[in-house]
Amino acid sequence: MQIQRTYNPINLLIYAFLLVMLFFTMTPIIFMITASMMTKNQILRMPFNWIPESLNWINFKRAIVGLDENYIFLRNILNSLIVSVTVAITTVLLGSLTGYGLAKFRFRGRNAIFIMIMATMMIPFEAIMIPLYMVVMKLRIQNTYVGLILPFLVSAFGIFQMRQYLSTFPTEFLDAARVDGMSELGIYWRIVLPNAKPVIATLSILAFRSQWDNLLWPLLVSQRDKMKTIPQYITAFAAERNTDEGAMMAAALIASIPMFVLFMSLTKYFIGGSAVYESRKG
Amino acid sequence: MGTKRYKGIEKKQARWGIAFVVPALIFFSVFNFYPILNAFYTSFYDRRALSKLKPKFIGLANYVRLFDPARADNPLSFYNSLKATLTFTVGTFIPLLIISLLLAILISNLSSNRAKRFLQISYYTPAILSSVVAATIWMLIFDPRGLGNQWMNLILNTPGVDHKWKTDPMMLQISTMLVYFWKYIGYFVILFIIGLATIPSTIYEAATIDGANKNQTFWRITLPLLRPTVVLVSIMAMLQCLKTFSTQYMFYTNGSTRAPINVITFNIYITGIQDQYLGRASAMSVVLFVLMLVLTLFQFRTTKSGENIDY
Repeated sequence: MQIQRTYNPINLLIYAFLLVMLFFTMTPIIFMITASMMTKNQILRMPFNWIPESLNWINFKRAIVGLDENYIFLRNILNSLIVSVTVAITTVLLGSLTGYGLAKFRFRGRNAIFIMIMATMMIPFEAIMIPLYMVVMKLRIQNTYVGLILPFLVSAFGIFQMRQYLSTFPTEFLDAARVDGMSELGIYWRIVLPNAKPVIATLSILAFRSQWDNLLWPLLVSQRDKMKTIPQYITAFAAERNTDEGAMMAAALIASIPMFVLFMSLTKYFIGGSAVYESRKG
Repeated sequence: MGTKRYKGIEKKQARWGIAFVVPALIFFSVFNFYPILNAFYTSFYDRRALSKLKPKFIGLANYVRLFDPARADNPLSFYNSLKATLTFTVGTFIPLLIISLLLAILISNLSSNRAKRFLQISYYTPAILSSVVAATIWMLIFDPRGLGNQWMNLILNTPGVDHKWKTDPMMLQISTMLVYFWKYIGYFVILFIIGLATIPSTIYEAATIDGANKNQTFWRITLPLLRPTVVLVSIMAMLQCLKTFSTQYMFYTNGSTRAPINVITFNIYITGIQDQYLGRASAMSVVLFVLMLVLTLFQFRTTKSGENIDY
């Protein structure tokens, strides 16, 4: 199935199609970057000029200063970072602990517990957000980090991945450590965790992304500006300043920087993360 | 003596295993099983948030109201939400599936590894942006003076026409589909590339020796062997689309009308949180849950049969 390097029309068509799709996926991102440095008139000009005539940093200032000039954007970035990093850490720690327990220990009801945990993957968050909202109201933890984080502490998918990965880990190593007198927690911390690095990387990226992108849950539990997250800020900013296109794009670009940095430094885990999903069918 | 001591170790081990598993078990009971049971329970009650009145048991009234044909005329009814969600799902996942499969096959057949990698990463890049950012960018593109009109008019050769991306009900639906398509295309391309890579090259060699041409190889070998991946990816895409929220919410807060993009999740949010009808919103949640459950079970069944393929 190798495509020969001849210039027959079908190959030209294929290259043209690949290029059109490349244009389609990349131009909106380039547009965001270019427009963040343009004035309003330059952004909505026909025809659009892809190279800004002058670099216009004022958009970034307006995006950061914010709607009420209280720099709440910075606080919202911090909130998103705290929530995303915490969820990434707990997903990895609790996921590996549970996955390790399910993969390497024998106890009654182990399979039943595993099936139960897998069954939660069939419960979409969107279907339980109303009851969860009621729980949060009852516990009076709306507008707190605890409220933002609590429903996402562990992921069934993370447990599944860890279990699959760790079940291939040689049990002899664990037994050798036991003979040497290492405690069970010590074995988990010093032998199991360091040997699960690829899954840890993939899972923490998945968890971080999903929280960085989460709009729905913060909309329910964070009403105070101080406790809002980035997606909420951008939504509000775009709604109230919808005539300030440059600042909108600047805010969007700033919000994307952490993801760009992660993506460029850990590309293989992003792409590998999709591979992990694929393995579900196995 | 020896076996007794071994038994003791085994028992101790079992206790550690249980200790490692219990925290997650408690978590899932409180934050997954309890809420879904609670959603079923609440869906039989007339319950409002911030109301001092005791929730009133009303049986199936919430469900009857959701599917009441008389309410179909109301553009914001659940009936129309279902329709908007299904339109969005079908209109998004079919193009997503076909084009990502096509791209994956074309990329896999490129001879240059560099070009392969470059295209994969470029197609994937939109997926790293958050949904809100993606919607913000496209909202500017869909501005009457924006790039959307400029491109469309260039393609259709209709200078100066406004295609009403954000105002015309049907165009609004297409716009949200386009944003979603853009964000997820690269993700599905990669899923298919991985699926293609699992087909052993010996099969292709055998086919070539037997004199099969490219067309025959594709329809007779690649596609049938890729079937499990296609089923898995399409159901995953459908499940994703059924849960869509951010894009629609973003368009709505920027002044688009709600009715054409009032997808189920959006309706749950408005009914339960904004209008405070928790019982009614719970009934909607249950419908969404059942819908997705059916699809997931279907996925399990089909992927199980897919495992039995012998190469």
